[in-house]
Amino acid sequence: MTSILETRNVSYSYADGTKALKGVSISLEEGKKIALVGPNGAGKSTLMLMFNGILRPSAGEILFHGRTLQYDSTSLREIRRKVGMVFQNPDDQLFAPTVYQDVAFGPINLGFPPEKVERYVSYALSYVGLCGYERRPPHHLSGGEKKRVAIAGILAMEPEVIILDEPTSNLDPASSEEIMEMLDELNLGGKTMIISTHDVDLAYRWADEMLLMENGQLLHQGEPSSIFTNQELVTRARMKLPLVLEIYKELVCRGVLNGSSPPKSVLELTDILEANGKDNGKDNAKRDGLGKIYVCDVEHSDLARIKAFVNGKNVDHVGAMGTQAKMMASSEKMVLDFTYGVIDKCILKALNGQSALILTSGGMVAHALCRIRDYGKESGSIIEAVPLA
Amino acid sequence: MQNLLDDYAQSNALRDTSPRLKLLLGLGAILLCVSSVTPIAPLFIAVTMSLVTIGLAKIPWRFYSKLLLIPLSFSLLSALVVAFMHGGGDQLIAFSVFGFNLSINEDGANLALLLITRTFGGMCSLFFIALTTPMIEIFSVLKSLGLPDFLIELSMLMYRYIFVFVDQAALIHSAQVMRLGDAGIKKSINSFAMLSSVLFLRAWEQGERLIVAMDARCYDGKLDLMERSGKAGPKAIFVVITYMIVVAAIAVLTRDVQLF
Repeated sequence: MTSILETRNVSYSYADGTKALKGVSISLEEGKKIALVGPNGAGKSTLMLMFNGILRPSAGEILFHGRTLQYDSTSLREIRRKVGMVFQNPDDQLFAPTVYQDVAFGPINLGFPPEKVERYVSYALSYVGLCGYERRPPHHLSGGEKKRVAIAGILAMEPEVIILDEPTSNLDPASSEEIMEMLDELNLGGKTMIISTHDVDLAYRWADEMLLMENGQLLHQGEPSSIFTNQELVTRARMKLPLVLEIYKELVCRGVLNGSSPPKSVLELTDILEANGKDNGKDNAKRDGLGKIYVCDVEHSDLARIKAFVNGKNVDHVGAMGTQAKMMASSEKMVLDFTYGVIDKCILKALNGQSALILTSGGMVAHALCRIRDYGKESGSIIEAVPLA
Repeated sequence: MQNLLDDYAQSNALRDTSPRLKLLLGLGAILLCVSSVTPIAPLFIAVTMSLVTIGLAKIPWRFYSKLLLIPLSFSLLSALVVAFMHGGGDQLIAFSVFGFNLSINEDGANLALLLITRTFGGMCSLFFIALTTPMIEIFSVLKSLGLPDFLIELSMLMYRYIFVFVDQAALIHSAQVMRLGDAGIKKSINSFAMLSSVLFLRAWEQGERLIVAMDARCYDGKLDLMERSGKAGPKAIFVVITYMIVVAAIAVLTRDVQLF
């Protein structure tokens, strides 16, 4: 693993003398999902604006791929292309009168020829699932759609790193889950993702690594599981425990569980509880055998056959992961039971003896199969994962 | 409510027709309206334009008639004044109010009628443009007519942020009303002043954020207009031109017709 972004002793004070950052040194690895967490005014946004050269540190330096960031216009263009930033409020970011113009803004300013601009824009829009929205003005879009356009505008510049300032703020729960899933998809495609958030449940479940900020300084950098088991860090960063962990902690206090392996998700918590019940000789889990999970690559399979497969009541639940699969499902008028957290939900159903179909595409096919098999190895409940063509 | 016109412009049935043709038709009709010396041609334009807007562009007639009512009521009021002001010709009606003798003469009546029909026809043509052609396509027509880029880019940004600020103004207004900022004229004026100053500051801040947002995406002085709007077919052009000739002919042939 190589470090893609690095800050060395970075400080920054605003024009009025307020010190927003006081000697922050961090190193971010390529291909990771990183969450920046901390109270309001801790310097998260300032730090994020440093990463693509919008703000210039008053002291210290920023390194991208090991090279110190220069602030001449050519280097700035380069860094802003490679490190894309999605602002918290989409109205700040979407300034063009139509979706097409907004997404095309970056590529055009990079000087791409018209046909290349067109290709990049249609790629970015289809990636976020907004084909056919080209001529709409931003004020005719919902909050989730605006966020997607903002992400598309960044994708069209082919960045290596994507920074998102509070990507789920002001979105309804389903939209924010879908946005987060899209960020997962982008990460699977090799992009380094950095988000800032106040949502501890989200950070705990989503991030590979968390940066805790406090008062313009880095408080801690580490894995979410290590951070949330450290009560002092949680209090100082003005966080609360994720719900899953809080329930787990209280169960440990009551002596129900022994506290050796904090769960990451609802699935893990239910598994721990079930295993615990078995250990105590109360095997009350009703199991009529495990269900199967079918995983289907929508890009390389016959849609008519999938539809027939679903309509033939071969599966109890259908979930779609990723924009391609969701678009396919909506154009084929398939009813989806799960649109986010799909793998975990399907495993939960399979544990109850029901079968499920996951529609997905690209790198997520292997990811889903791998995740289900890994789950079998870890938990001992081996669920059959069947690739469906 | 505030962006209803824009909503219809985005979604009407003539959305994909060439904006040049729509502008040609609308502006041509307005010009013919104001250059006609008798009410017949403007009346013809008003009726045909309304039919096109409701029938072809599928704008709900209820909404359309409400929209027309606003300028129509203004023009009725002003026409009434004009009718009384102009002398000349035979007297049609005369009566006295508080010792003042008021009368409507032939010239006055004709002028008032012309005024109403011109306004009416002009408004119908203008609404045809406003309800069928989104702003962005008008910008692209303006660009192809050679208007400088910076003017068009500025207007595009302004157009985009109008909606952001209308929302903000509505929110600030609600916040004021919630705390009784509209109780009494004095308070209303005070609240309005506060709203304006806050909105100005917000616009300023939005401007600063806009610069950051543009810089973050490698702004290099280019804001593209996508000119991918529909091209006019020969049939459509033929129909529009024929329509213009018919209206012009009506205007010329009826130039001596006076109703009173």
